[in-house]
Amino acid sequence: MNKKYKLIFPYLLLLPVLLFIFGIFIFGIVNIFLQSFGYFPAVGLKLFSLRYYKEILKDPNFFYSLKFSLYISFISSLLSVILGVLLAYLFLSTYLNDKAKFYNIYKISVIVPHTIAAFLVFTIFSQSGFLSRIFFRLGFINNMVEFYPMTFDTKGIGVILAYVWKGAPFITLITYDILKKLSDTYSKVALNLGANNFQVFWYILFPLVLPTISLGFIILFTFSFGAYEIPYLLGPSKPKALPVLAYIYYKSVNLKDRPYSMVINVFIILFSLVLAFLYILLNKIIKKHGIDR
Amino acid sequence: MFKKSILYVLLCLGMFLNLGCLKDKSEVDISSKNWDEILKLASGTKVTFYGWGGDENINRWIDEVVAKDIKQKYNITLERVPMLPNEFLPKLLNEKQLGSEGVIDIVWINGENFFNAKNQGLLYGPFAYKLPNFNKYVDKNSSDVLYDFGYPVEGFEAPYGKAQLVLIGDTAKLDYLPKNHKELLEIAKKYPGKITYPDASDFTGSAFIRNIIYDVVGYEALKDIKPNKEDVKKAIKPALDFLVELKPYLWRQGKAYPSTLAQLDNMFSDGEVYITMNYTPYHVLTKINEGDFSKTAKAFIFNKGTISNTHFLAIPFNAPNKAGALVVINHLLSPSIQAQKYNPKTWGDLPVISSNLLNEEEKKLFENVNLGKEAIPQDVLVKHSIPEMRAELIPIIESLWREVVLADE
Repeated sequence: MNKKYKLIFPYLLLLPVLLFIFGIFIFGIVNIFLQSFGYFPAVGLKLFSLRYYKEILKDPNFFYSLKFSLYISFISSLLSVILGVLLAYLFLSTYLNDKAKFYNIYKISVIVPHTIAAFLVFTIFSQSGFLSRIFFRLGFINNMVEFYPMTFDTKGIGVILAYVWKGAPFITLITYDILKKLSDTYSKVALNLGANNFQVFWYILFPLVLPTISLGFIILFTFSFGAYEIPYLLGPSKPKALPVLAYIYYKSVNLKDRPYSMVINVFIILFSLVLAFLYILLNKIIKKHGIDR
Repeated sequence: MFKKSILYVLLCLGMFLNLGCLKDKSEVDISSKNWDEILKLASGTKVTFYGWGGDENINRWIDEVVAKDIKQKYNITLERVPMLPNEFLPKLLNEKQLGSEGVIDIVWINGENFFNAKNQGLLYGPFAYKLPNFNKYVDKNSSDVLYDFGYPVEGFEAPYGKAQLVLIGDTAKLDYLPKNHKELLEIAKKYPGKITYPDASDFTGSAFIRNIIYDVVGYEALKDIKPNKEDVKKAIKPALDFLVELKPYLWRQGKAYPSTLAQLDNMFSDGEVYITMNYTPYHVLTKINEGDFSKTAKAFIFNKGTISNTHFLAIPFNAPNKAGALVVINHLLSPSIQAQKYNPKTWGDLPVISSNLLNEEEKKLFENVNLGKEAIPQDVLVKHSIPEMRAELIPIIESLWREVVLADE
């Protein structure tokens, strides 16, 4: 009895909040699915059909958006990972951590909301932004139109910049402590045996933090794939990122357009589920191989 | 300890399950009450006011001036909650489905959102004819009070203010300000890359596109049109063609459009573009006063006129304090409030009360408002105002713009 109770007890304590979260969460997801099949009785749609799926899948804009969303999520997550790990390594190798705590400022961008990140990128990198102004003063460009467009551009540079600014420090945050723990033991041995700094990083530290980095990559990717504000504020008018497209249908005056929005949301959910599954799988592998995290 | 925690869990569960069953049984039917009784009922209550909160000046005015007034005069506490209709309407819809009591007493709403809300039975009414100030000061037969984006209001809303689209140009940079769409094209050709408008998904961008449609094909062409894509496309084809013709001369060759008006305003302040626009006609004065726009910025309109609309206040079907809501709305229709609102220093919103229904003293309130030369006088605006088209046409036009203008390579 006592054993059983100990097993259940934490879940019992969690029950109220779980009820609350799952109540809202599952209610939302069920609603999304129902509405995506055209069941939305509040506005008089009561028939289930695959019509909305068919129409969305026929729409080339959907695929442009899907491609664009995949592209910005992949590039921004990849860059975040690379920069984030390098930053973590830099903090370690310079031993800043022992002398001064100022390196902690990198954490600021983890806390700052995404909309603020978008605003920063806009003020710095737009054609009338700080950078453009500096270039103009220095005589590199004659007017602001010559400044390479980095916001609202079809390459999504501004969007990627904002995501990297948010994402890289996040990766630093999750890898720094692991690297710190590792570097004291393994890397000293390696250095002792004649490895150079690059070799220590590439052959020892990198493989050891790879699982953590992969998890971080998945988190960043999933988030940026489903998030709306940055591509809405900094992205091009066309192609629109998937969540932006969903939002345009969602806020349509004609409430009967709502199912289209929900179909897009279903695709976003399915994609996120696949990634979540990958996350769990990876986590299991890590645990199995006993990598110290 | 264990027993206690089970108790907590049960307690929480009970609370959770109970939420859906709460209903206010004590609510009084106010439709049969007279104004004095309503005033009495409203005294000492709290009224929540939901609406767009994107302008600090307006927010401050409501929080500091209006709320204080209402507290003093009627002993009502006014609480402003910044929330957009596309956020609070789904909330009301959900509340309706669940049959739960509401928290919103007044909503600031118009057009498409009003049309939807009224159709879905989310609004209480008719109530407007109960308001003394509505009956006294508002011209009840004018089309901008009877109709909201082409839909009959039928007393389910009371007017709050009027807005009219104006364009804003920098006279220091532009030779002249365009008086119609053809001159706009000339200007765009003369200053390539310096003109643009917000994306159709933006409220003002969408209004600008409708205004171009009016300028090219005329208001009458759309008045009685059926809301289907083919008919609308046929009717507005010349306007879409014009926008395509304009496209290569726009900012970023028309391949990208600012996604919000705020962005366009920002670009205008920075000199990245030479024209911006606003649905609040005296907004330009506020912007100049605050130093965001240069002193050479000037509002202008097309000779054929620009789109105007009325924005309204409504009461949700499940408002907990309907009496209080009526009193507050009535107060917002008083000449002193409407005159304060008209002042560009507070807001610059056009009044909804008719000047020929005011006495001399009340007229003075409006005459004392100093507009300045960068703005267009109210009588010129009124003469050049074209009513908004029916709300159901708007999403069709927005999607046509995306398909024809934005997609054009």
